[in-house]
Amino acid sequence: MIRLYNVSKTYAKASQKAVDGLTLEIKDGEIFGFLGPNGAGKSTTIKMITGILTPDSGTIEINGVNLAENPIAAKSLVGFVPDNHEVYETLKGVEYLNFIGAMYGVPSAALKEKIDEYASLFEMKNALSDMIGSYSHGMKQKLSVIAALVHEPKVWILDEPLTGLDPQSAFQLKRLMRAQADKGNTVFFSSHVIDVVEKVCDRIGIINHGKLVAVDTLDNIRADGKVSLESLFLTITADGE
Amino acid sequence: MKKYFALVGMLFVQQYKSRAAIKLNNKKKRGGTAVLYVLLAVCFAPLAISVAVGIYFLGKLFGANAYMGSFLLLICQGLVLMFGIHAIISNVFVVKDADKLLCLPVRAHVIILAKFTVAYLNELITTFVSVVFLLLPFGIGAGAGVGFYLTLPFALFLIPLLPLLVGTIIAMPFSALIAAIGKNSVLRTILRILIYVAMMALYMYAMYSLGFFTGANSGNFFENPEVYIRDLTQDMEERLRGVMPYFHPDYMLMSSMVATSFGDWAAGFFAALGENAMLIALLFAVSLPFCRRILAMSVEDGSARRKKTVGAYKLKNRSVVREFMRVDFKRTVGDAQVGFQSFAGITVMPVIVVMLYFVLGLSNNGNASFLEVMSISPLYQAIAPMVILAYMAFIGCSTNVLGLYPVSRENKSLCILKSLPVPFGKILLAKVLLATAVMLVSDFLSCLLIVVLFGVKWYYGAAMLAVMALVGFGSMCVTTLLDLKEPHLGWDNFNQGLKNAKKSWAAMLVAFLCVAALCVCSVPFIVLYALFDGWYYLLLMWVLDMGLGVAYSAVAYKVMNGKASKYFERIEV
Repeated sequence: MIRLYNVSKTYAKASQKAVDGLTLEIKDGEIFGFLGPNGAGKSTTIKMITGILTPDSGTIEINGVNLAENPIAAKSLVGFVPDNHEVYETLKGVEYLNFIGAMYGVPSAALKEKIDEYASLFEMKNALSDMIGSYSHGMKQKLSVIAALVHEPKVWILDEPLTGLDPQSAFQLKRLMRAQADKGNTVFFSSHVIDVVEKVCDRIGIINHGKLVAVDTLDNIRADGKVSLESLFLTITADGE
Repeated sequence: MKKYFALVGMLFVQQYKSRAAIKLNNKKKRGGTAVLYVLLAVCFAPLAISVAVGIYFLGKLFGANAYMGSFLLLICQGLVLMFGIHAIISNVFVVKDADKLLCLPVRAHVIILAKFTVAYLNELITTFVSVVFLLLPFGIGAGAGVGFYLTLPFALFLIPLLPLLVGTIIAMPFSALIAAIGKNSVLRTILRILIYVAMMALYMYAMYSLGFFTGANSGNFFENPEVYIRDLTQDMEERLRGVMPYFHPDYMLMSSMVATSFGDWAAGFFAALGENAMLIALLFAVSLPFCRRILAMSVEDGSARRKKTVGAYKLKNRSVVREFMRVDFKRTVGDAQVGFQSFAGITVMPVIVVMLYFVLGLSNNGNASFLEVMSISPLYQAIAPMVILAYMAFIGCSTNVLGLYPVSRENKSLCILKSLPVPFGKILLAKVLLATAVMLVSDFLSCLLIVVLFGVKWYYGAAMLAVMALVGFGSMCVTTLLDLKEPHLGWDNFNQGLKNAKKSWAAMLVAFLCVAALCVCSVPFIVLYALFDGWYYLLLMWVLDMGLGVAYSAVAYKVMNGKASKYFERIEV
């Protein structure tokens, strides 16, 4: 479960709030899609949930653990797939996963089992002994996904996870997201691919100019049930421009 | 031309810009920076002034001599080349933005020209410092005329051209060799360090062969100083007369600067301009045919040649700190931008020890060398290790890039560290331990050389190493905290990120204060040893120094650990 209460953030170099009084709760076993135009505050929100940025005000809880008060315990519950693929390029894939395993305290045997499982799923097994610098964009993305799952997180956060993935891997990723939710874990992901959000998510939230402008199930957001999520998104986010 | 100037402007601004934002109280920040600069000025003014005064007297000795003047120009260029060669490589040959630039609707040669221009502009900074501390005092000492000072600004712009050409000629095959090696990152970094050591050795050999260190062929200075200095001057001038005409652009430039008539000035000045223009033409002739290949090399560097291996791998359970140190080391050594900078510092102090040995250990016409004279003294074993320890602390702390930029070198990957469920104090401890370990490699080599070459007793060498381990750890804690307070992130060119950073200066200050404290505490024991000749005074001195080292490293670690989280959270990536 993720709970954000009245969270705000202004960057040091900016005059406007990147996130403004965001209150949101994502339940266990739920896939939550986070939508918004460029610069709306999606990545800032994700960075605050993952502990990369500190909010100026408000509180964030991960499975009831306050992130500000107990950051280590809170972070250890989270698996994070960033959007920039800044993985350590001069390491081999397996070295990076070993590093992540050590940081999250995963025993070797369990780590190997998880790596084998996910590497087979994403057809990465043969590439793990290669330098990450030699990977394609999609392969780095797959490695980030595997790294985010090896410690079996209770909360899985994905920032634009489908970018660069081939159709098979995208399919596997969507299946994994559903499997995680079915296990009772929380999946929070941001995406620009509205079709995917429409098909995969149990609930969606739309952020614009740092404020949450809509949050509910897709059916509830669509008043008459016929409007596409795309038109709805365009209508909601056009107001603030 | 519009595109060229736009590129130059963008590239120049880009390298000094940090993408990280830190929320700070601006007044406090400015105050701290001002205090730092004042302290630095107080500490380093004596060194800078002594160099300038030495050159002033050289000018007085030689007068407005074109050979000696052009030799000083050459020294300036040597310094620019030494400090600038890797700036050229990282600016032009191993760049992270090649993929962004190659897709622009700009010809490859315009991109290369813009990159050379930026490298040149950076070299101007080093040139300016060398002109102020070498050429200007020489002119004053030599009583040079107005022409010297009027031509000096032109010299500032002409001096970096030769280093730029030589640097490019060295860097091109070198970069091709690096690219040919492929993905063996350790070998690549070692190769870079070897080239760096070779360049330093070449520079020192050139100075040595010109008789800069060896002295005149005539008798003893103390017997007849005037004759000695006269012979020394004549001997050096003779040597320079034979060598400097080969560096014709420098010789012509200095001829114009020290000219006494307008005709001589004009002849020298325009010849120097023409010859330097030819140098630029040569630079472009050498590099432009390969410009697209040069840029492509940077792109291919990170993406090509993925070897096909079957996925057999081993996993090992390690502690967080150990695993972090291992990964940090592997990442750094393999990074084309950071690797060389981080490990080349290991070579500096051992090279200086060897250089000192050659300078002090050379005998003159069968007379005992300075080192031989010193080593006979009963105080040698007490003072020599302390003096060299001071050098080691000073050089070791200020050249250890691993410890100076532990956070800045994370660059965009810092967000990975921030998302890990590991106390940041542990991550910093791993970084400090790695930096100290690398510094100890250099210190071990230096101590070994000091024992072998300088005849310092092995147990003093061991004591020096122990003190350096403690002082190094403490200093790395301080420099790590400084970098954490204000990291330089989002760079495309790590080398340039370092140039405008004040952290290496701050590290020198930290080392200077450490050394000063150690020396002040050691002096009474050396005096007691000199008066009463008891070995236990030296034992006590080293025990005290180690105690101070333990106290310093413990306090520094505690301060760093206490502030780590606060500073870490402020960084916005």
